[in-house]
Amino acid sequence: MKRRDLLRAAVAAAGASVLSGGLAACSSEEGNRTTPSTSLTYWDWYVSQAGWVDNELKLFDKAHPGPSIKRTTQVTDRYADLLALSVRSKNTPDVFMIPKLPALQEQVDKGWLLPLDKWATSQWQSRFPANQFVEGVNVFGGKVYTAPFAAPAPSLQLYCHHGAFKDAGLTNADGTIKLPKTWDDVTRAAEAITSKSGGKAYGLGFGNAQNFALAWWIDLFTRGAGSPGGTATMDYRVGRWTFASDRNYADFLTLLLDWKKRGFIYPSSMSISDEQARAFFSQGKFGMTVGGVWNQPTWTENKFTEYSLVTLPAPDGTPKAFFYGPPGGSFVAISAKASDPERAWAWLDWLYSKEAGKRWVEQGLGLSVYPDNNDPSLVKFEPFAEYVAMANTAFIGPTPTVRNPEVAKVTVNAVKPDINDVGAGLYTGQLKDVAKALSELQDRLNTAQDDAVKAAQAKGAKVSADDYVFKDWDPAKPYVHKPA
Amino acid sequence: MAVSGTFADGVTAANPPAGGTPGGTPRRRRRGRWSAIWSARWSYLYVAPMMVLLVGFVIYPIGASLGYTFYQWNGIGDPTDFVGFANFAQVVNDSIFWGAVRHTFTYVAIVTPVQLVLALALALVLNNRRLRFATFYRTLFFLPVVTSAAVIGVVFQLMFSNFGQSVNDILTGFRITNENIDWLGDPNVAMGIIIVVGIWHTLGYNLVYFLAGLQTIPEELYEAARIDGAGRIAQFCYITVPMLRSVGVVIVLLALIGGFQVFDLVQVLTNGGPYFATEVVNTYIYHLAFGGFGASAVQPNVGLASAASFFYGLLLIGFSAVQVVVIRSLARRRAGQ
Amino acid sequence: MASITVPAGRTRGPAARRSRPPRGVRALTHAALLIGGLAWMYPFIWTLGSSFKDTDEFFNRGLNPMPERFLWSNYLEAWQQASFGRYFVNTLLITVGTTVGTLLITSMAGYVLGRTRFPGKKLCLVLISATLFLPHGYTIIPIFDLVDRIGLLNSLWSVILVQAAGGVVFGTFLFMGYFMSIDRELEDAARMDGASFHQTFWQIMLPLSGPMIATVGLFTAISAWNSFFIPLVFTLARPELRTLAVGMYSFIGENSTQWTLLCAGSVITLAPIIALFLLLQRFFVNGLAGAVKQ
Repeated sequence: MKRRDLLRAAVAAAGASVLSGGLAACSSEEGNRTTPSTSLTYWDWYVSQAGWVDNELKLFDKAHPGPSIKRTTQVTDRYADLLALSVRSKNTPDVFMIPKLPALQEQVDKGWLLPLDKWATSQWQSRFPANQFVEGVNVFGGKVYTAPFAAPAPSLQLYCHHGAFKDAGLTNADGTIKLPKTWDDVTRAAEAITSKSGGKAYGLGFGNAQNFALAWWIDLFTRGAGSPGGTATMDYRVGRWTFASDRNYADFLTLLLDWKKRGFIYPSSMSISDEQARAFFSQGKFGMTVGGVWNQPTWTENKFTEYSLVTLPAPDGTPKAFFYGPPGGSFVAISAKASDPERAWAWLDWLYSKEAGKRWVEQGLGLSVYPDNNDPSLVKFEPFAEYVAMANTAFIGPTPTVRNPEVAKVTVNAVKPDINDVGAGLYTGQLKDVAKALSELQDRLNTAQDDAVKAAQAKGAKVSADDYVFKDWDPAKPYVHKPA
Repeated sequence: MAVSGTFADGVTAANPPAGGTPGGTPRRRRRGRWSAIWSARWSYLYVAPMMVLLVGFVIYPIGASLGYTFYQWNGIGDPTDFVGFANFAQVVNDSIFWGAVRHTFTYVAIVTPVQLVLALALALVLNNRRLRFATFYRTLFFLPVVTSAAVIGVVFQLMFSNFGQSVNDILTGFRITNENIDWLGDPNVAMGIIIVVGIWHTLGYNLVYFLAGLQTIPEELYEAARIDGAGRIAQFCYITVPMLRSVGVVIVLLALIGGFQVFDLVQVLTNGGPYFATEVVNTYIYHLAFGGFGASAVQPNVGLASAASFFYGLLLIGFSAVQVVVIRSLARRRAGQ
Repeated sequence: MASITVPAGRTRGPAARRSRPPRGVRALTHAALLIGGLAWMYPFIWTLGSSFKDTDEFFNRGLNPMPERFLWSNYLEAWQQASFGRYFVNTLLITVGTTVGTLLITSMAGYVLGRTRFPGKKLCLVLISATLFLPHGYTIIPIFDLVDRIGLLNSLWSVILVQAAGGVVFGTFLFMGYFMSIDRELEDAARMDGASFHQTFWQIMLPLSGPMIATVGLFTAISAWNSFFIPLVFTLARPELRTLAVGMYSFIGENSTQWTLLCAGSVITLAPIIALFLLLQRFFVNGLAGAVKQ
């Protein structure tokens, strides 16, 4: 017995040593194989957009014969970490999608990026629409580092399920469904769907398991009512957070709680994830939901196309505030350590071409920076065409860093509870008093903001609370930044 | 330190005073420190690789993290923005943190005993050589351990959102409730679900530990006991339990530590919600410092995260120290009687 | 263990009453185990079934694990999309390397900490215990810099090293507890026979610890096999060295996940682990574990 065990152990050990030998052989072989210095590395985090990137790579290779480009798709929510670590260990990819963190200003300050002025001449810039190269956004210290790819886009829409609407009799004379335009329209439609389905369907639904869907609802409805910050930013007209002083927020939350009380909302909405809510909506478990354009590819794949979208429902039907983005924008950049900057530029230039942007829109991935590409008639798929047609609800808004680049040095800490938490707390009844909860939230956010400005001032940054105030802003119009 | 106390005791118990280092020189009552070290040279050699890895890859990073606690730092480059004890102050003064501590302790207080009792009972049944299909059963109960957290999240969310053949239908069918429960969205129910899923998910680990531990008990002891007429319960109390003590301490300890660090399950099931009803310390730290899921580019705050987790680590050490002191004084009192 | 009061040297009853429980009790035990077990593995069955569903069915069939028809193509697609062919080999090498390394290191350390005395032992124990409670850090940067400095970055060795280091405390603890439980007499007898320190460990104690080798080996292998962040970070510039768990992320997009492929990928990834468990679990069967009782 004992001997057999020893024998067995010996066999196991031998097996292990063979394997580890193999490991050594394998890795030393790989170690000796020097990567061809001419091949270009490209990093992105595009998983669902992979088809577009791969196609562009193929077309690029055909048009620019030469060493191939090695694309690495990094894990989306680890992308910023990985890029920072690659810089730390001098493994930076030649061309990469710009990570969301740290701020682009910091990336430039730390010397991560190659200035593109050699190639991005004023002539090259002229292919873009006007005012797309802006100091503090994609130009730093007078040097261009990247360029915009997508146009500001309406980030959220209210999706309406045709079947649910038709079953509830919410149709126009021509058989199309009666799309809700006002808050009251939404209430009436929700009531009709809930009551006419006999308990099979609900008017409204969402998936808040990850704790962000409720904030989408608040954002979409309050923008329509005229709160230009939604839940995303402060109200730049006054340079403060206004969750309590702007009564739209309390009004909408009261309405939401009323919907819940009257049983219009799918009861498991707090239990399910956004993806599950997406699936349940397509089954008609509820007639309306709030989400972004990313819903559409999943539905298309599952052959669900019977839906329409509206954006910014407003109390009286006319949206008073919209979606805003900074002027210009950023997408990909070249590493300061790129091995072959010329070819890196060629690839970057290719990605920014009008044709690549056109294919981006055609594949239903988003809006292009070139207005000609955003032509609903080019888009065959009706719901995406509806989205493209909404491009006029998103435009350039005030951006503090553009007026004063020093603002980039202000680091505002996250607050807890935030709007997602407050929304959930009110919805479940853990928080009872809407006004009190919102006013505490507003104080928390403004305190964090003031502290951050003070901390930046203490370190010598030339910033003040006024840098966040844009008195001359009309939320119904694109904002034109005056040179400082 | 508390733990080391426990182990040091165990070690001395296992080493009767007469024993020296195996293979060492004959034992003398008083010997020089150096000769003690020299005679234990093989012990050092054997423990060295572990200590090297421990120091390099565990203790050194912990030390580095301790440094970060005094900075506001986004984790990129090197920390420069010194804030002193502000990070600690923020955590200590945050009622959400203390709520998270309460939830975590509740979780541990329920999951650990329930799961250990279940695992031990199951191990005893499955350790029976005469039980048919034992292999099959062992595999069944082990499977949750290897099921990925992401999949667990989907399955349980599907289960608790009321559709298909799910729980709500049954409950309403039996008229236990007549309105739909928003299972994971109900602050009172959600924590209970996290606990149940926690027991389900990690039972397999403890089952395997106990099965391995049971192998150290020579079967002769049971046979002898049977001949003496000891019943199953007596066998369990006088053979199994005492013989499992050393390995049992480790199992309990690992179960406790695992419980105190619960993260994945909460993250995929409720993300700490609704309104912090299931927020545990690790999700709290994650949300506080990294802005949580889907948040717009909040600057991560590694310093704050490090401070929060250090403070929590100290709390746990303090908690276990108190526990050890209390248990010891109880034992002493009992011994004194 | 002082509490064992069974007198030694008692003769073994030749056919000690084979007290097999009555049929009814046995049936009840099986029923309970089967019902409990099925409930326990339900999510796994559901994953298995869902790996054959089409994307529409995934949510729409709810908790029904059966697909309408079996889409074997999910497996092919998952295999190709996630480059499983190449990643499988990497994962295997990392798992074997980590497991063998961890077992050697932790069994040796567990033995000397559990059964020998040496000056400084208490310090070792204090250090280990403290690390159990203290956070291992919210940033990988210190370890990353260390690995970069010793020149192992972007190799499988770095993954093995970091992965093994993460498991040493856990393994050492388990071995320590186990060695402390083993009867001392064996060791003493070996020493009487003149066995050296090394012989005592390698030829007596280690072979006795089969169940714990199986346990630590199993859990080390599982964690190495499923490890995601360590391989991702330490092979960041050599994506061809990635592991299966990293490959799984090719199903997870910013806003949507290819769930059916993820399920197929999970099943592919889990199969070897389950095989390993089946292989090792004979170590957990009473009486077959080896020479514990000589």
